[in-house]
Amino acid sequence: MVETFNSLMMGFSVAFQPQVLMYAFFGCIIGTLVGMMPGLGPLAGISLLLPATFGLNPIIAIVLLSGVYYGAMYGGSTTSILMRIPGEAASVMTCVDGYAMTQQGRAGPALAIAAIGSFVAGTLGVIGLMLLAPTLADFALRFGPPEYTALLLMGLFVLAYMSGGSMLKTLAMAVFGLLLGMIGIDVMSGYTRFSFGITELGDGVGIVPVAVGLFGISEILMTAGQADPPKVQQPTLRQLVPTASDLRQSVGPIARGSLLGFMIGIIPGSAHIISSFVSYGMERRLSKTPERFGQGAIEGVAGPESANNAAATGAFVPMLALGIPTGPVTAVMLAAIMVHGILPGPMLIQQQPDLFWGFVASMYVGNVVLLVLNLPMVGLFVNLLRIPYAYLYPCILAFCIVGCYSVSNSTMDVWIMLVMGVVGYVLRKFGFDLAPVALGLVLGPMLELSLRQSLAMSGGDYAIFLQRPIAVTMLVLAVVLLFFAVKPLIFKGKDWRSKVGLDEPADS
Amino acid sequence: MTETTLQVQAAETRGLRSDQASGLTLLALAGLVGWLNREFPVGTLADPGPGYVPLLLAVGLGVIGVLVAAFGVRSMPLRTLAWPEATRALVIMAACVVATFALERIGYRITIAALLVFFVGVVERKAWWVTALVAGVFSLASYHVVGVMLKVPLPRGPWGF
Amino acid sequence: MNKRYLMAALLLFCGAAHAQEVFPSRPLSMVVPFPPGGVADVTGRPTAAALEKVLKQPVTIANRPGAGGAVGNAAVANARPDGYTVLMALSSITVIPEADKLFNRKPAYTLDQLAPIALVSADPMILVVHPSLPVKTVKDVIALAKKQPGELSFSSSGVYGALHMPMEMFLHAAQLKMRHVPTTGGGPAITQLLGGHVTMTAGGPAAITSHVKAGKLRTIVTWGAERHPNYREVPTFKEQGYDIVYYIWAGMFAPAGTPEPVMKVLRDAVRQAVNDAEFKAQMARVNSPVNYLDAPDFAKYVDTDAKRLATVVKAIGRVQ
Repeated sequence: MVETFNSLMMGFSVAFQPQVLMYAFFGCIIGTLVGMMPGLGPLAGISLLLPATFGLNPIIAIVLLSGVYYGAMYGGSTTSILMRIPGEAASVMTCVDGYAMTQQGRAGPALAIAAIGSFVAGTLGVIGLMLLAPTLADFALRFGPPEYTALLLMGLFVLAYMSGGSMLKTLAMAVFGLLLGMIGIDVMSGYTRFSFGITELGDGVGIVPVAVGLFGISEILMTAGQADPPKVQQPTLRQLVPTASDLRQSVGPIARGSLLGFMIGIIPGSAHIISSFVSYGMERRLSKTPERFGQGAIEGVAGPESANNAAATGAFVPMLALGIPTGPVTAVMLAAIMVHGILPGPMLIQQQPDLFWGFVASMYVGNVVLLVLNLPMVGLFVNLLRIPYAYLYPCILAFCIVGCYSVSNSTMDVWIMLVMGVVGYVLRKFGFDLAPVALGLVLGPMLELSLRQSLAMSGGDYAIFLQRPIAVTMLVLAVVLLFFAVKPLIFKGKDWRSKVGLDEPADS
Repeated sequence: MTETTLQVQAAETRGLRSDQASGLTLLALAGLVGWLNREFPVGTLADPGPGYVPLLLAVGLGVIGVLVAAFGVRSMPLRTLAWPEATRALVIMAACVVATFALERIGYRITIAALLVFFVGVVERKAWWVTALVAGVFSLASYHVVGVMLKVPLPRGPWGF
Repeated sequence: MNKRYLMAALLLFCGAAHAQEVFPSRPLSMVVPFPPGGVADVTGRPTAAALEKVLKQPVTIANRPGAGGAVGNAAVANARPDGYTVLMALSSITVIPEADKLFNRKPAYTLDQLAPIALVSADPMILVVHPSLPVKTVKDVIALAKKQPGELSFSSSGVYGALHMPMEMFLHAAQLKMRHVPTTGGGPAITQLLGGHVTMTAGGPAAITSHVKAGKLRTIVTWGAERHPNYREVPTFKEQGYDIVYYIWAGMFAPAGTPEPVMKVLRDAVRQAVNDAEFKAQMARVNSPVNYLDAPDFAKYVDTDAKRLATVVKAIGRVQ
């Protein structure tokens, strides 16, 4: 403990060097900017800055890049809340309740809670990283394909809690999303599925253009054609600040979201995207007033935002402790360190203590910087809503186009976005929820791959899921989740009558 | 694209309920996926091939589609579903399609400026100088931020702009 | 108003038509068909930086990932052959058209659509096993695999990917059967092995070094034609009596039909760039030393590699 403290002090002495501090600040600003652009997420941000870091010293390089990373994780929530455009995959869930709050004139509290939640989650995440990195890293390695399958199944069952509408329609949308995820090259066999001969579809449809289209473009199509344009908002200062009850309602979601996000974040793979979905489903399930979700519940912003930031921090655990990438973002960061001749790996913490501890300390600093930077910005951002819609929507469309184009420098993503915009518009007209599509698309390829990998490992024997303790535990949890989800459908008895009166009849 | 056209076709049928229409559309989509899935080996439960999961999902989607339609007897009649914003939505989509097509052919800045001129000036009928200002400032500024500062290679037209 | 735009556009167009006389007179774009941080990217970025110094024009990196490199390769294959678009490709460039043939797909591009400029680096693959596996040499691996046919497993970066091909070469040469667990990239493939979910994988020297040093992975043999300078103790397959060689290489291409003078400028530029001291140092630091070949030799190299890999792809056939 004393040793950790001493090391941390050494880390702070590195992090507080004016130059390091400056780059941390700079990284956070760029990250927030990049995250706010629809389409440009953390990955785009840090890969754009990667070449610039070749000339810097490794500590500064990693501090800069990680600043961009969590800055972008935060920045993504801004456009989700204000304009219903998910800046990156992790803020898809924030669109739902965040934008609903904006429509009620409560954009300020939503943005503020997102900032506070991100700060708390980021800080708790760093504490976890600092104290538990080596222990957790070994745990993370035990996540092979069977464990991954079980985890993703849990994520899939959360779906049941995600939407307030008809369960059948939710399921339909999830399956639609899963099917979208089937497009592209099948990693296991090399077959290209449902790509209609388009090479660019070989890697499948990305979550970003789909989410921007489904949520953002469809919203513009719904709003721009209305007879009277949406009213320009004139928020007063009082409306910018979260109320005491907002804060009270957010404490639980932030705490749970942080823990959940961190745990999911440390697992190698791309599962950390599901943390915000799981957090949303969990908050809705735990809430005494689940009907508020989707109508502007602040818990629906606080939970997912905390979860995605905690996951971002958690992703550093295997990267620093083992030198293995948890996802594309950490892969780029590893490349940034390797370019300087430092070998990331199990010995990094001993061999490069100033890098590790400087990095940890700079993450504390970075989180404070983000909070200080973003809380005052809430006022500024909210004022964007003063722009009349006639000017706002053309600019949003143009932003969406350039953002999606930049994902992989190809118009294919823009086409996907446009098609999904129309699909989203029609689906909303017919009363379908869109969030399950996004969850399905994220889960689809991962779930299929890990299931088939597990079977490849075991030679086709399903017993592999029952022979591994972590997988079994999670499968049991998943079944319990599923049971609670379908319980009201089977045991309708008590509240059957009241339900008929309240819900639409299709809720079966 | 396919399901949108299907939905439009379904909408023209008289007396259908909205959920029946969407349920049948889902069923049609499931059929389409199942049909497209023919060329991929399905494999077995122990050794699923590339066609296994898609087939499973297509069957699932079809069943759900039928259920949605079956429970949709009391949903809103399709004809009462209003589409007041559809015309404007079509115009917006058409403009975006043209812009996307033009993006790599005439370059980012010209395309975006033209798109904004169309929306602000033609669709929203704002004064010409406001239109020019929005189009000019937005296209150049966004090019500078994304294309120059963030180094995304945004497309240039054949005349280098 | 429309007329005025048209006039302006015409004026601009005429202006541009005159500009192209000496190559290069405007920025170049280097397409990297993989996401940032991968081997192609880590090689491409310093190369681009070194080229900028020689050509006195900015060389921007355009990551065009997708379909195992097919998207970016096809983009350059179909680009205007003016030398302003070049490609930093990996060895998978020769495998993709073969796999397309196998699945009766319309190929995204063919090799003759691309003109080689130069080979920049080539790294031999190394067979690594989980330390819990009781094997030290290739003979042990083969003996164990023969004792438990189909029980040992290996991870790869995807079917027909850079880690799958060398393993299949080995399995064919030694007539072994193993379980294949494809993943989504080189990083995940190593992660699966570190976690003990598979027993072995082929890995690039850069990717495995730290894990080997920490004792988390054990090296067995290399696919290199000779021993790797950083892994003197690791024997080659050739020494062990198997004639199999596999390198994962990175090389530059231009669209076929690029004028000869322009090609010459590019080739000379790359030759100077790879001799840049800073560039060399950078490549050595990522454990991927410069391995330069000029266009004629590189063309032969690509040809040999393509033939060798085509036979492997045909031997693997369609999975499933």
